[in-house]
Amino acid sequence: MKKWVPITSGLLAGFIAATISFANFSSNPKSETASASNKSDAEKVYVPFGQKDDYYMFASGGHSGQMFIYGVPSMRKIRTIPVFSPDSATGYGFDEHSKKLMGGYTWGDLHHPAFSETNGDYNGKWMFATDVGNSRAAVVDLKTFTTKDIIKVPNTAGPHCAAFVTENTEYMFLPTRFAVPLGQKYESLDDYSSKYRGVMSAVTFNEKNVKLNIAYQVALPPWSYDLSDAGKKGSKDWAVMTTYNTEEATTTMEVNASQADRDYIVLFNWKELEKMVKEGKYENVGGQKMIFPEKQKGGIYLVPVAKSPHGVDVTPDGKYFIASGKLAPAMTVFSFEKAFKAVQNKDFAGERNGIPILKYESVMEREVNPENALGPLHTQFDDKGMAYTTMFISSEIVKWDPKTGKTLDRVPVQYSPGHSVAAEGDTVSPDGKWLVALNKLAKDTYLSVGPSHPESMQLIDISGKMKVIQSAPVDPEPHYAQMIKADKIKTIEVYPKDPKNKDAVYEQKDTKIVRKGNEVHVYGIAMRSRFVFDAKSKRPDVIEVNQGDHVFIHLTNIDFDEDITHGFAINDYNLNMEVQPGQTNTMEFTADKAGTFPLYCTNFCSALHQEMNGYFLVKPKK
Amino acid sequence: MNDRKRLSLVSSLLIGLSSVLMIVSIFFPWWKMLFFAPQYPEGLNIIVYPNKLAGEIDIINGLNHYIGMSNFGAENFPELSYLIYIIIGLAAVTLITALLRNKKILYGLISLLVIGGLIGVVDLYSALKKYGTNLDPHAPIKMDPFVPPIIGDNTVANFTTHSMLGTGIYFVIAAFLLLLIPLWKDRVK
Repeated sequence: MKKWVPITSGLLAGFIAATISFANFSSNPKSETASASNKSDAEKVYVPFGQKDDYYMFASGGHSGQMFIYGVPSMRKIRTIPVFSPDSATGYGFDEHSKKLMGGYTWGDLHHPAFSETNGDYNGKWMFATDVGNSRAAVVDLKTFTTKDIIKVPNTAGPHCAAFVTENTEYMFLPTRFAVPLGQKYESLDDYSSKYRGVMSAVTFNEKNVKLNIAYQVALPPWSYDLSDAGKKGSKDWAVMTTYNTEEATTTMEVNASQADRDYIVLFNWKELEKMVKEGKYENVGGQKMIFPEKQKGGIYLVPVAKSPHGVDVTPDGKYFIASGKLAPAMTVFSFEKAFKAVQNKDFAGERNGIPILKYESVMEREVNPENALGPLHTQFDDKGMAYTTMFISSEIVKWDPKTGKTLDRVPVQYSPGHSVAAEGDTVSPDGKWLVALNKLAKDTYLSVGPSHPESMQLIDISGKMKVIQSAPVDPEPHYAQMIKADKIKTIEVYPKDPKNKDAVYEQKDTKIVRKGNEVHVYGIAMRSRFVFDAKSKRPDVIEVNQGDHVFIHLTNIDFDEDITHGFAINDYNLNMEVQPGQTNTMEFTADKAGTFPLYCTNFCSALHQEMNGYFLVKPKK
Repeated sequence: MNDRKRLSLVSSLLIGLSSVLMIVSIFFPWWKMLFFAPQYPEGLNIIVYPNKLAGEIDIINGLNHYIGMSNFGAENFPELSYLIYIIIGLAAVTLITALLRNKKILYGLISLLVIGGLIGVVDLYSALKKYGTNLDPHAPIKMDPFVPPIIGDNTVANFTTHSMLGTGIYFVIAAFLLLLIPLWKDRVK
């Protein structure tokens, strides 16, 4: 009967269908997991084509006003994000959105970057930064690596002591480096102690409408606030910051602000301040809710610390904070628990400017003094809770145990490190992988480029005995940096279509030029390799206006394709912007110059990029 | 089962299964063309379902204007609006065949599928020919007209294209094979 024929063929047919549907034909590439110990230094930093770095490092760009993105361990620079300064390469500060963000300023001094956090760990969504130069704060969207909002902070001058975010990004606090009178109005320096204040701002971030806002401010004494950190876990409602110039000197600070043996750490409970504001315990100063600590008492305390401290860092377990006097050789470990007890028992040693002072002895856990180490500045942590402190003067990184004070390891760096950054090294769970020393002096490290040298960043492997294994030059000037595991950041490659955006056009045929009185609105597209401003025109890539017209050019990049960014520049009109894939951007200006001005794509896009141009014609007034 | 013109129960079940596979095929691509270029190592795709096109069609259209090829789009393929109903219809006829268990109807069904398959191949070929040979003479890059194969590779400028059958068509082939089995099983001995 040969019954097997139909049965086998049936099985065969089913098998074909099943194989096609469910089988995975792709071979499983063996993952290379060579352990760090059997790799040479060169192998540890070599990331071949096709592979990517394990970490993003976000380094502040200092007075460039920008932020620099590096890959670790390769130490390759990946991107510059313009934040507080215009950048013609990306059209930042030229297109309407970023021009408004600039608020007329042409530079900024970006100091301390801070990732948004969830439960004390980086969540990879947002990056905050402050501008010491022009007293602003900014937020960068990590989906696009672009600056989304900037807020100008009143009553304050130079938020150096920022930004630091609380455990769930409830607040970003901005204490100031320079004391100024409220409203920054004129007051004689003879009245410094009575009229000047070091105002701290509590900034909130609304994730939905992507806006920064000032919740309240605190009129702290007229001292300089240097660095800060938010509490973690058990201390999460608290924050600490270092002060100097508690002498309230008004000139030749390097001498006059270095006289007192002790300055203070300001210890405050932001939950309590929040409650005070809710209960109306504040005064209105130029529209800001201002807490005056000498009048609205509570929530703020002073902890004496070795003179002129710089960094203050909270341990990953949230139990201690470590401060170091930059002129004293020692570091001090303070205990949050002891401080809370002293606050509870009102164990105060008097007041300063109306703020209770805790006794040094009752808060101090231990003093740590590694032999011959000088100029301790900043501390980062590894996965075992060990501390890594930069020594500016003795130019080294010292590894030590906060629980015993014992020095464990040290490595020289070239030269004079300010901050260092370890992989997620200021979170509740540091990775214990890499540490980058952000050195202030490069001297002879790199090929000479004349008298002004780049800064230097040195990569240190901290998986075993500390060893410097790579060095990368960097433009001025990373102060602090944060390093985040690469897979926490989820970028987009193309902006999604936004049907609600009235400025956007997504089809060539919908492009148009609309005139309303002396306003000219162009709704155009950019695509490989042409501009279309008006599909029905004889020359679709030409914009013709009258002298004096107010021109709005809304341009949409309709190449919804990875890495196909177009630029748009008008020759001799000092204008250039960028449209990223799928993005709509607007350029607004007055056509005050009559004449013929070529327009062209500035961001190399395709084989016929050079042909991607047109004309901007301005008819002279009669 | 003494009637020579009747199909056995097993055959009837196989034909019923064939009908199910036809319906299943609708949810999978029937044909695709993959494009690779040095700048597109990840590849671009045109994926053809019985009722829609998927893949990076806009990007491919954007690139194709350089060689003067007209735009792909569901509007250029009216087949996509009715093909799915033809498949459902054929699946229904197949199911009826399974229920009626009549050999003659099975012969008819098989012939219908053969004819449908041939029409499909001719239709696809003519579409490929239309796109590859109707190139705009004013395009920036002048190309000799070409016809990409239904299955196999072709090179256009910096792109290599790979045309291949999709999962859906394998279901259809499996469905067709299931229809052939009863011919053997219930052959006249």
